[in-house]
Amino acid sequence: MPARTSSSTVADVNAAGGPGPLGAGSLTSAAWRHAHLLQLGGLSDAELRTVLFRARQYAGLLREADRVVRPMIGVEQTGSVGPLEAVSSELRGRVIANLFFEDSTRTRVSFTVAARRLGAEVIDLTSVGSSVSKGETVGDTAANVSAMGVDGLVIRHRSSGACHLVVRTLAGDSEAMPERRRDPGRRICSVINAGDGRHEHPTQGLLDIFTLAESFERLGTFDLSGLTVGIVGDVGSSRVARSDIAGMTALGARVICIGPPALAPRSLTALGCEVSHDLDAVLPELDALNVLRIQFERHEVKPGEAKENQPRTASSNIIASVREYAELYAVNAPRVQRMRPHAIVMHPGPINRGVELTAEVADSRRSMVLRQVTHGVAVRMAVMSLCLNAPVS
Amino acid sequence: MGRLLIVGGRVLDPSSGLDVEADIAIENGVIAEIAPGLSRAGLRPEQVLDAGGCLVTPGLIDPHVHLREPGNERAETIASGTAAAVAGGFTSVCCMPNTTPALDNDSMVYFVQARTEATGVCRVFPVCAASKGRHGHELAEIPLMARAGACGFSDDGDCIASAGLMARVLSACKAVDRPFMQHCQEPTMTRNAAMHAGVVSTRLDLGGWPRVAEELIIERDVRLNRAIGCAYHVQHMSSAGSVEIVAAAQKLGLPVTCEATPHHLLLMCDLIESSGYDTRFKVNPPIREQSDIDALKDAIARGICTVLGTDHAPHTPESKDVPFDQATFGMVGLETALALYAEALIEGNVIDWPRLIAMMTIEPARLCRLDRLGLGSITLAGPADITVIDPSERWTISAATFAGSSRNSPFVGRQVRGRAVATVVAGKVRMSRR
Repeated sequence: MPARTSSSTVADVNAAGGPGPLGAGSLTSAAWRHAHLLQLGGLSDAELRTVLFRARQYAGLLREADRVVRPMIGVEQTGSVGPLEAVSSELRGRVIANLFFEDSTRTRVSFTVAARRLGAEVIDLTSVGSSVSKGETVGDTAANVSAMGVDGLVIRHRSSGACHLVVRTLAGDSEAMPERRRDPGRRICSVINAGDGRHEHPTQGLLDIFTLAESFERLGTFDLSGLTVGIVGDVGSSRVARSDIAGMTALGARVICIGPPALAPRSLTALGCEVSHDLDAVLPELDALNVLRIQFERHEVKPGEAKENQPRTASSNIIASVREYAELYAVNAPRVQRMRPHAIVMHPGPINRGVELTAEVADSRRSMVLRQVTHGVAVRMAVMSLCLNAPVS
Repeated sequence: MGRLLIVGGRVLDPSSGLDVEADIAIENGVIAEIAPGLSRAGLRPEQVLDAGGCLVTPGLIDPHVHLREPGNERAETIASGTAAAVAGGFTSVCCMPNTTPALDNDSMVYFVQARTEATGVCRVFPVCAASKGRHGHELAEIPLMARAGACGFSDDGDCIASAGLMARVLSACKAVDRPFMQHCQEPTMTRNAAMHAGVVSTRLDLGGWPRVAEELIIERDVRLNRAIGCAYHVQHMSSAGSVEIVAAAQKLGLPVTCEATPHHLLLMCDLIESSGYDTRFKVNPPIREQSDIDALKDAIARGICTVLGTDHAPHTPESKDVPFDQATFGMVGLETALALYAEALIEGNVIDWPRLIAMMTIEPARLCRLDRLGLGSITLAGPADITVIDPSERWTISAATFAGSSRNSPFVGRQVRGRAVATVVAGKVRMSRR
């Protein structure tokens, strides 16, 4: 990752966000050269800004459209109107397929809305009712959909690295058939990671960054230096956390992962963040707290599911009890009171109300949950537009 | 069977210290003469093997291979696996019992022997399961399998996790004078493990396989074995900490040996990240870090690690071209091992050729009691298992030319040096590149 350099000009701040206070980080953006978005880890701060600046542009248009269209309800309208018209042909004639091998509501709908706003057509494939349930591999499903001339694949899969595998498969890099190579003249089908196992969920990371930047008036630069972000909960099992940590630290934020040792192990410091097992101790330092759900489904090993070479002993008892967890780590009103005065609370959803987050906090003015969802559309528009229009190397 | 002459090579037999320029004459499957300038009179050209510029060594022995028969014949068979063996210069292989069904009774020993007789091109010695079905619960019929021809015992692929069973297994193996070979993996610490536990597994979010899960088992077994004294062998050692434990046990005079594989001597876990989750690097135990590689090499230099084994693990593309967490463990090794050991150990200035050959011949022979059959050395009237090695041949590893059925090698495309150019098993030339 290139070192951050200081720069004083903001060449392409547009009207949507307005310039925020200038920090020490680099303010330049870089040309986007990636046909795929697999992870935020490894992207430079300049590359991240390229996406975020574009997202800011779309966010401005979406907000304007929201204001323009609403009062006109009752008047017959077709297609995109008003402010969004300008971008509604960016992906016209392009086809994007949602390949969701794992359940999703928010992310799938958000990608769909984003693609349609840019004029693309969207196909939805879920593992239920498609060939996945007939035993097809993720590589084959992706290759088949791609062979139909689809321009972009939005993939969610339960295995870490599944999107990397798809990219390799589409490139013809197969061990079984070393002689099979992609026709070099053929256009590349973009692969966008919508969550791979517990590895990364890059568009969620971007929308969290966007929400953070908006709340602290950093939309001009997306320079997050001086901000301290806590991520509390099942951090080790969270693809959102990995994307947040990669993106937020690259843009200058300090990130502290918080949870009991089983959920927030010390090894996470390898990702460039800090780790604390004491939420109450770090609360006063926090500008933002991203609250994660405990992913019980990723911890359970059912006896029948153990593989041949896997042990068949005790189930992994990840926390002693929900009661104990809530006592020590649940984000409730008294805890929020102890955060910095302007601090915000985020949650990637779905929320288990009463476990990691109380209803009182979820519905409070501190809660950015729905702002996050709103920004998700703009961020995904930016990612799809940039990846699908990336120059072929 | 006629006479076969291997001429012009440097005859190297580490078991006797023999290291001379000489010819070898073979008759009726045994070594008849070792002397310079043997007469070629009356021999047809195919009866003379030119070994000029080459090492002439005892047939190489691999104490750790998976032949997949019965049960997964698409990945490998005894026919294809032994073809891969002779292509790599091996004349004897010890096959692990994790087949389907497992090699866990004497009839399975007879099955392997019959299939080898019918389809094999090198010697195959079964290592049999120590527990019934390799389930780690009940003791298998160790004496009956030893009598039938098992050369050792192991639940390889799984660790014998129960200390109670382990004590009984060690006693049973001791009674029949066979080694017990442990797959050292504490199971409760390695659930869903896919790679070395460390910075890279944290970044990639793949299940971590910590060093301590290997070290704990070795430490426990050494302790258990103190009063029993069975020949105890650590398979595919991967961790620097394991080296310390084995060294300490050997210092006490305990019968503990260990083996190193090509991949644990050459590959680091960073490759999984830089390759974008390439499953060809997924192996059990996992490839780890530079410090582990250094410790393994040091163990070899100091004579703590005495045996080299490939852990040849063929897999179909269907079981490898899937997401990393779902992919099978292991990589093929028989056809590439010699050159890779040479790269790691000779070019790496760890040991010399005579020691490398010892670690691939007489040392594994002693471990698996094959020295009693005359294997692992070149001796007059002994079995004529010979490997001719060109130590300077440069070649590029290519999956397309593999004799085995599977192609799951992370070394494909690598430029290497040193290659077996002829393999003679019981007097028959089973492979020749000359």
